Amino acid sequence: MDLPLIVVRLVHIIAGTFWVGAAIYLAVLLDPRLRAGPIELERQLLSRTSKLNSLWITTSAVAAIASGFALISMTPSRSMSDLGTDGWGTMILIGLLASLAAFFVSGFAGAATAKLRRGLEAGNADETQVALFRRRLSLLGYVNATLVVIAVGSMAIARYV
Amino acid sequence: MDAEIVTLRLLHIVPGVAWVGSAIFLAFVLQPALAKTGPPHSRAVMRNAVKRLLILLHSSAWLTMIVGVIMAFRVRDPLFDFLWSTPWGTMIWLGFVFAVIGYAIGTIGGLTSKKMMDLGASLAGQPPTPQQAGQIANLQKRGMLLSKIAAVLVTAAVVVMALAQHV
Repeated sequence: MDLPLIVVRLVHIIAGTFWVGAAIYLAVLLDPRLRAGPIELERQLLSRTSKLNSLWITTSAVAAIASGFALISMTPSRSMSDLGTDGWGTMILIGLLASLAAFFVSGFAGAATAKLRRGLEAGNADETQVALFRRRLSLLGYVNATLVVIAVGSMAIARYV
Repeated sequence: MDAEIVTLRLLHIVPGVAWVGSAIFLAFVLQPALAKTGPPHSRAVMRNAVKRLLILLHSSAWLTMIVGVIMAFRVRDPLFDFLWSTPWGTMIWLGFVFAVIGYAIGTIGGLTSKKMMDLGASLAGQPPTPQQAGQIANLQKRGMLLSKIAAVLVTAAVVVMALAQHV
């Protein structure tokens, strides 16, 4: 039993699962319902949860991506040079690119959320601005969720392609 | 390319990730944060999101478990010989048991939270009596505990199934 490989694989799977689940939960469930409600509710919730959400999601994303790179190098008879060369390498490369894109989209969403939170807390954001931010955040959430689902799907089937 | 296995893995892993990840996020991040915001806000958020949440969690859980069973029969034939006599089989049935118990406990946790929301809604904006406030707090505490136990169990299911090919 290759213990380091197993540990890294578990870190990758658990961190990735949390990242993807949280992204889907936020994009599909929580954010649309929250943005359909009163702005005061969103302000209260953002001020209490957005920093915590960002911390958890960013940490799990970094752990999933870093352990993913380590896994490519640690998996017997596989290496970074296989990326894009055969079926396995192509699927892993698609997953890697999708997850990196999701990470950056998630970063943009986090920055936009922080801006919205500051605007709402200061009480100086006008309605048009708030509506624009809400639309942009919803879009970023859906793009992020789609990208992480593509990443999971492509990596899950890599061995069988 | 084995199209059947590829399809089964996609239908098992993607909903499984959505189920387990959502369960962890709900139990360990969102619910504790909502509990700190206090009843008016937490109730409003949960009331708004609960229907979609139940649809997502139940449908992804059922899809994951059903396709997982189909896949187990597909990759090992005859499955029951492997289940009881190999380390792979032990990890797979253990994972399945964790998943089913986690799902059941999560469902009970969801029902407990629904009971709490119904009680809150029955107050119709009136402040609760000390007895009602105590009841709401107990239900919230129980719902959060059950959600955490469910999240730990479904994570354990993922862990043992991920280990199956290594033992």
